[in-house]
Parts: sequence; C-alpha cells; structure tokens
Amino acid sequence: MAFNFNWSPLTADAGFYKRARDLLTTALNKSPKPPIIVDDIIVTEFNLGSVPPDLEILEIGDLAEDRFRGIFKMCYSGDAFLTLKTRVQANPLNTCLSAKPSFTSPQPLAAASSLTIPLQITLSEIKLSAFIILVFSKQKGLTIVFRNDPLESLKVSSTFDSIQFVRDYLQRTIEGKLRELFMEELPAIIHRLSLQLWCPDQIAKEDEEAEESDEPGVNPLATPPLDAVDLHGHLLDPTAISELSLDGGPEAQLLFSQKTLSRLSDITNSQVTSSLDTSETTDVLFRAWAGPDKIDPNNTPPLSTPNLARSSSYASPHTYTFSDNGSQDQGSMSSRPSLVHLNSATAGLSLGSGRHSKAGRKKKTRVVNLRRKAETEPNSEQEDEGTFEDASTGMPASEPTLPHPILEVPEEDPMLSKVRFGRQSPDPQQQQQHTARGPSFRAADAAAIPSADMANLNLSSAAPTPAKSSEKQPQASLATGAKSDLKRPTSSSSRLMSDTSSVILEQAWIMKMAGEIARRVYDEKNGNPPFWDDGRDDAPPPAYEAQ
Amino acid sequence: MREFMHYITNAFYGATGWNDDNTYKELNVTARELIDFPLPRGLRLTLSSLATPHFATSYQLGSIGVVDGSISYLHSTVPLTGVAARSDHIPLPTLLRSYRRLHDLGSRNTGRWGVPKGEGVVDGVEDQCGDSLFYGRLYLPQSLLEGLVVRRFSADLQVQLSAVSERSLRNGGTLLGLIQYDRGKYGIEGLASTDGGLLGFRGLYNFGGDASPPRSPIAGTPVSGGTPTGNNGSGNDQQTAATERERDRIYGRFSAGGEVYYGTLNKSGGTSLGLRFATLPTHRGTPLTTTLTINPLMGNISATYAVLARDYCSLATRMEFNVYSYESEWAVGMELWSNRRPAGFLLGADPRSASAREEHKPQPSPPEPSKKERSFQAKLEWRLDEDDDTKDNEKEAYRGVLKARLDQNLRIGLLWEGRVKSLIFSLGSGIDLRKLDEPFRSLGMEIQFSS
Repeated sequence: MAFNFNWSPLTADAGFYKRARDLLTTALNKSPKPPIIVDDIIVTEFNLGSVPPDLEILEIGDLAEDRFRGIFKMCYSGDAFLTLKTRVQANPLNTCLSAKPSFTSPQPLAAASSLTIPLQITLSEIKLSAFIILVFSKQKGLTIVFRNDPLESLKVSSTFDSIQFVRDYLQRTIEGKLRELFMEELPAIIHRLSLQLWCPDQIAKEDEEAEESDEPGVNPLATPPLDAVDLHGHLLDPTAISELSLDGGPEAQLLFSQKTLSRLSDITNSQVTSSLDTSETTDVLFRAWAGPDKIDPNNTPPLSTPNLARSSSYASPHTYTFSDNGSQDQGSMSSRPSLVHLNSATAGLSLGSGRHSKAGRKKKTRVVNLRRKAETEPNSEQEDEGTFEDASTGMPASEPTLPHPILEVPEEDPMLSKVRFGRQSPDPQQQQQHTARGPSFRAADAAAIPSADMANLNLSSAAPTPAKSSEKQPQASLATGAKSDLKRPTSSSSRLMSDTSSVILEQAWIMKMAGEIARRVYDEKNGNPPFWDDGRDDAPPPAYEAQ
Repeated sequence: MREFMHYITNAFYGATGWNDDNTYKELNVTARELIDFPLPRGLRLTLSSLATPHFATSYQLGSIGVVDGSISYLHSTVPLTGVAARSDHIPLPTLLRSYRRLHDLGSRNTGRWGVPKGEGVVDGVEDQCGDSLFYGRLYLPQSLLEGLVVRRFSADLQVQLSAVSERSLRNGGTLLGLIQYDRGKYGIEGLASTDGGLLGFRGLYNFGGDASPPRSPIAGTPVSGGTPTGNNGSGNDQQTAATERERDRIYGRFSAGGEVYYGTLNKSGGTSLGLRFATLPTHRGTPLTTTLTINPLMGNISATYAVLARDYCSLATRMEFNVYSYESEWAVGMELWSNRRPAGFLLGADPRSASAREEHKPQPSPPEPSKKERSFQAKLEWRLDEDDDTKDNEKEAYRGVLKARLDQNLRIGLLWEGRVKSLIFSLGSGIDLRKLDEPFRSLGMEIQFSS
C-alpha cells in the first residue's frame, strides 16, 4: 500500500491562499476580542512555504472507500509564515474602563481618550510536532484532533520589536493563542472545509449546531459529580467513578456529540425540576412511546428505524435510551439517562440499560451507564459475559471492558423482569441468569414507577446491516436469527392488569423491601432515616406513564 | 431624555444647593450633551412617581428583542416638595437638557430653593449637613444591582458612593467612592475605585468673570440669580453702568482644571488638562461655551464650541486630533426647540389652535399646587416664585425638541422628544450614510410617565 501526499499542489492553486486567508480572518475575528484590540484582525500574508511536513503513519485503524481512520505523527520545521494586521488601543485607562459598568465609572474627561496604533505581527519559523488523529467519513467529513500540544516554537516579530517588554508579552500571548487555535479552531476549520467539499448539505445543519454549542454542554463523562453515591447511598470512591468514564480520550469522545448530551441533560433536569422545557432530541426512542398496545411487535415507529439501521463503527448515529430509574435514588439522582450506543448487528441485543458489552475495536457496542456503579459481584459479571457472548464474542477485545452498572437488590421477582429478548433461551440456566439479573434494577423501578418501565424499547425490527467483514459473519447470523424471533416482550403492564392483586401485593412488598434496605443503608451512613423513602411514592412524570 | 431618577437626583442637588457643575468632570458637558446625546434603542416604558417628597420609585420595561426591565427606588432626606415630578408638568428644557448655562458660583451660599442664606432662612447650613440620598436599582433579567449613596457633610463637602453588583464582574462588583469639595472658586474631587485599585484626583479653578475678585462690589451679585436691581445699594449707579458696558462686550468665566488617575493594581495611569470659557447668564450677547482639553500622555487634543444661537436653537461642534497617530475626528450637534404641538397635524387639528387650547387647558390646573406653595413660603421667596412662573410660561411654549448630530463617519443621530398629553416620549434613530442599503442602524422609542 502506498500513499502519495502532495504538498506543492496546495500552493499551486491560486485560489487556495485567498480562501485560507479568508477562513483564518473569520476564525480570528469570531471570538470576542479583548478591548485592547480595536479593529478587526486581518490576515494579510499567508504562505505555507516549500518544505513539507514529515508525516509518519503510526496506525491505521479503519480503511475503506468511504472512510478512514488513522494516527499520524507530524513534524514540521518549514518556512511557512503568517502576517496579521490590526490596531491596538494604547491608552491603558481606555481599555480598563471600556469593559466596566458606566454607573461606577469615574468618568474621566479626557484622560481616557483613545490612541490607536496599527500593529503588524509576523509569525515565522514555526516548529510543530504533533500526534494527529484523523477520522474521515463520507457522511461526516474530515475530523482532525491533535492528541498533544502541537506547537514547539515560533518566532514572533512585530512593530514593537525594539521594546523588549512588549516583544516578550506578544510572544507569550501569541503562543498561547496559537495553541488554542491548533487545539480548537483548526479542527473546526478543517471540518467545515471538508464538509464544503464532500457534503455541502450538512453545512446548514452544522451552523445550527455551532449556534447551539454555545450553551454550556454537560459532559457527564468528563465531569463526574463530587459526592457520587450509588443506588443505596454508598459513597463511591473516585477510582470507581473514573472507571465509569470512557477511556480512549478524544477517540472515544468522538462517539458522543456534545449537543446531544446537553439535550439529554436538559431532559433529565426537566424531570428533576419543574421546568416545562423539554428540548427535542432526535434519534431517541422513549420507552413511553413504545407502549404495548400502541405498537405491534413488527412495526417500530418509523422515526427510529432508519437510525437504528445504520452501520459503520464511528459514523453511526448514537441512539440513547432512557431507563427511568425514577426514585430509586434520591432527588438529584432520580433519573439519570443511560446512554446506549447501538451498533449495527448487535443493536437489538444491547438493549436494556443494565447490560454492557465488550467494546471491540471494529464493531463497537458501547453501553455507558451513567448510574453509579454498585459493587458488582464477580459471578454476576460472569453471568453477564455469558449472556452476552452471543452478541459480542469473537470480537477482538482490544479495549477494556466497561464497568458494570448492574445494581444489586437482593430480592428478585420473575414477574418483574420485563425486558426479554424474545429469543427463547434453550437452557433454563440462561433463563435463570436473565431473571437473576433482570430484577436487580427493576424491582425498585417497578416499585416507584409501576408502569413506566413496561414500555419497552422494541428494537427488534431494526434492520441489521448486512454483515461486512468475515469476522462478523457468525455474529451477524446469530443476530439475524435473534432478530427474527425477537418478540415484543409481553407487556408487564398488561400482565399487571391481568393479575392485579398479586402484583399489587408484590409491589407493596418490594416497595417495602427496597425501602427497608435503603433505609438501613442510609441509617448506616448518617442515621437520618425517614426522608429516604419519601420520594418512593412519587408518581412518574406523565410522559412515562404507559397506558 | 434624562431618566426620572437622574432628574430627581439633580433635584436633590438643587434642593441642597450643591452646584454639580463646578467639577472638572463637567467641563465640556455643554457640548457633550448637544453631540453625544443617547439614542433610545428598542421600546422602553418608564413609570415613575415621586410618591412622597422623600421617596421616589421608577419602573422600567424595555424590549430589545428580549424583554428586560428595572426597578428603582430613591429616598432623600430632603423633602423635594418644589420639584415638578408629574410628567405633564415637568419643564421640558430641564428634563431634556438643552444648552446648559453655567450656574452662578454663589449658589452654594444660597439655601433651599435658591433662597439666599443671609436673608434669615432658618433651615440653612444645619440641615444641609447630613442630608443624604439613597438610590437603588435592580435590573431584572441580568440581576444587576446599582446603588448610590450621596451624603452632604458640610456646605462644601459631599461624598458619593456608588456600587454595581453583577455576577459577571470580577469580584462580583465594583465600588466607587467620590469625595467632592466645592469652594465655588475652585472645586476638587478625589476618587477611589475598587476596579483596578484606581485612584484619581481632579480639580477645577475658576477665574475671570464672576469668579475674579470684584473690582466693584456688585460685579458678583447680579450674577447670583438675576437679582432685581432694587437689592443693590443706591450709590453704585456709575459702577453698574460700567459693568453693564462690560457685559455688552463679552462677559464670562474662565475655568482651568486637570485630572490624574493611577491604577494601583494594573499600574496604569492617565492624565488630562482642560480649559473652558463660558459666558455667564448675565451676558447679553449670544451665550457660548468653548473648551480645550489636552491629554499630554496620549497626545490627544480636543476642542469644543457650543453656542445658543437663538432661544430655540443651539449648536455645538467638536474636533479631536491626535498628534501621535494623526487621527482626527469631528462631530456636530444641533438642538431645535419647537413650540408646536408634536402630534398636532397627525391628529388633524390646526397646531396653532390646538396649542392655544392646550395652553389654556393646563393653565388652570398648575396654579393650584403652586398657589399652595406660594402661600406656604410666600413671605420668604416671592421672588423665586415669580421666577418659576416666568419659567413655566417659557416652558409651556416649548413642546418638543429635535436633536441631531453628525460625525466624521457620516453617522447621523436623530432624536425627537416631546410631550403628548401627559406622556413624555422620545423617538430616536441612528442612520449610517456609509451603508445606504440598510441605513437605519438603530431605532427606538421611549415613553415616560410620572406622577
């Protein structure tokens, strides 16, 4: 295999430099400028030079006609240069007062009069050394991420070179700014450029996203809460939390769009608080929608179907399900979304927030459960692996297993294991495993929200993509097999209707038990009891009440 | 349009006899207000009230895309009884601030409502000491809080403390302390701000005109409010004639001042020097004000010239030049008063008859309160009441004002202010002649009602 990189054709294209200058100018003027800069920053000269950077291919993770993923090492010490022109305010009093409220301004008469000085800055002798992760796909364009700080050194020469103090200051400031540019702006620029080239129809959407991305997004993986407790009020130690978060750095971060996460957090917040605002989240299938009497097993809402059917490891849309674990936790923890990243063939099987998968390098099924991790018993782990084997065995487990989000409740009740994969498990042991795990988080669920949980996600009709690699074959066949006899789980709400009395008894009992356990745990912790099971009787939000 | 609370604050200064013009900060205020008048943006409604003579409230609701507003309260220990606060009685020239004439330097010697102290007023100096004003304002969506305390310690000394609290500011807010000392002939100010640890000092010294040591004993006296000649002694006819002749030439006051600032935390500073010549109200010719300010550090020179060309028309120009960067700026401003009823032809009525009717109509109502005042203070200040009456008549004549400005970037600012019934409105627009495809940069209307 050979690659052919052309450096000179970039410079041969007459329009290239003009386009690049324009892009740089807009990028530099986009963010609000400090008051000391009184004019637009204009890129007057830009030249990439004649020396190409050294590029070393470290790893190619994915290679196909329409997508590419690889890691490079780049070194550059060429003769590229860049000249900027702007005007700065030389009166310190003016800049100092301009950003302050006028009510407490000392209102100087003329001491703050402005003196603007044109400033020209030339950046040259740029030395770069970086690890670059490059991801390309036809649908999503080109994404470049710098894994480290790429800037090694650079020379700044300006109008004020004769003044040592100003020169040092400029050098320092510009280096800082440039680092920011490389880490944040440049990937965005390149992404936009690539979208223009390959998928111009996405640009409008990107604009919207850019506007929305101003909102402070919540990345639950990056910032775990301070005092994390698990379901029963045990304090989690930080290491356990860090295990919860994704490993793999930027690579893995690519999987989750900041926008969607912030929307999800909006929705959860709206449930916790009395906010009426629930932002619309696409590519999401709510359990409440999939009510048993609304939808027949073979027909999922058309909204969800195309998304679930997509394949491709990185470019696939993320599908999130909500498992409303309601008032299991107190107040703030009451409803945490569990994010389920569904993927091609294994999509149907990764359903159920309690499950997780081993993340393969090529085919990834990631289940990120945002609930706090409870102490998981080793055998439950085994069980889980056992049940999941059909979904993900054979994959190269190149990434560590994600921690177990399964929550332990000692009592179990077969009635309440509501998520079933319609596939009849041949051996009763597996059935046993299902039921053993099923109620662990559902028992309390049902206690709190008798009906919400019954609305189960039906992913059975998600059309699995044709298996691509040979490696996938057995799984694919299995998955199709699974899909074909995936049935709507018999809705336990209807079951509840049928034998109401027993269920009510059970519920009462479970409620009592869960309350008891929780109270005991809580008592052990702080000895402050009755508050704990207050939230238990809360009615579920109307959206989650299945009919 | 000045905000109601600003108007009341000025009324407080007036009530305590503080001359807020005698400071270096206000050196070029005449031209500044003719040129840099603020343009309203969006729609803004203000509802204010001087509920009791000590207490005023104001509510503001605005909309520039988003709705915002503010609530403000003001408390003054001095009763502001003489202040026309109702929007159908507020004298428009005072509120809309036309060409500002200099206050006489003797005003600090006068007690409340301009009553000379020497004339046996009881509530003189004692009451002024300790007079204070408290003002607070909360901007709602931003939750920005403004607070102001003004306290008069003696006839010459006043301390102001203003504060802003907002989350986005560093340290959550800023505080500015201002201590003002006004001796009439000179006024000095010291200030300290928590913002960058800024310390400042500015001073103004008056000479010439009424400030110069009088060659004749009367030279100063007529200035202090156009006293009737009867007050002056009898044997000074010759000298009076001499001063009258002098005033026929040009008669005014020179003021020179400077300011120095130093930020103790950010190690920055600034300074400027200024000079002003302004004719005094007793000058019979065209009133004019001209100033020159120099910033020696930044090489900035600025000159303004303002003139009250006619009773209803004032003009101002400003030129700035920077000797270091060779940048220059100019701006001209104009103010045109009209005694027409603002919306007269819109309503289809003959403006003249309408104005005549209007002239008739409000007439019966205002005298009643003022009559009361007069009976209340009649013995002491019949002269002042007369003043008020004449002023009232003048003001009734003016019903609206058009302000315009133009600067070197060919930006035009237009502002039309006036009174409709008991609402004071202000309609403004900024126009950019450089961008003719979309010339209107801003458009706004402000409506104020007060009671």
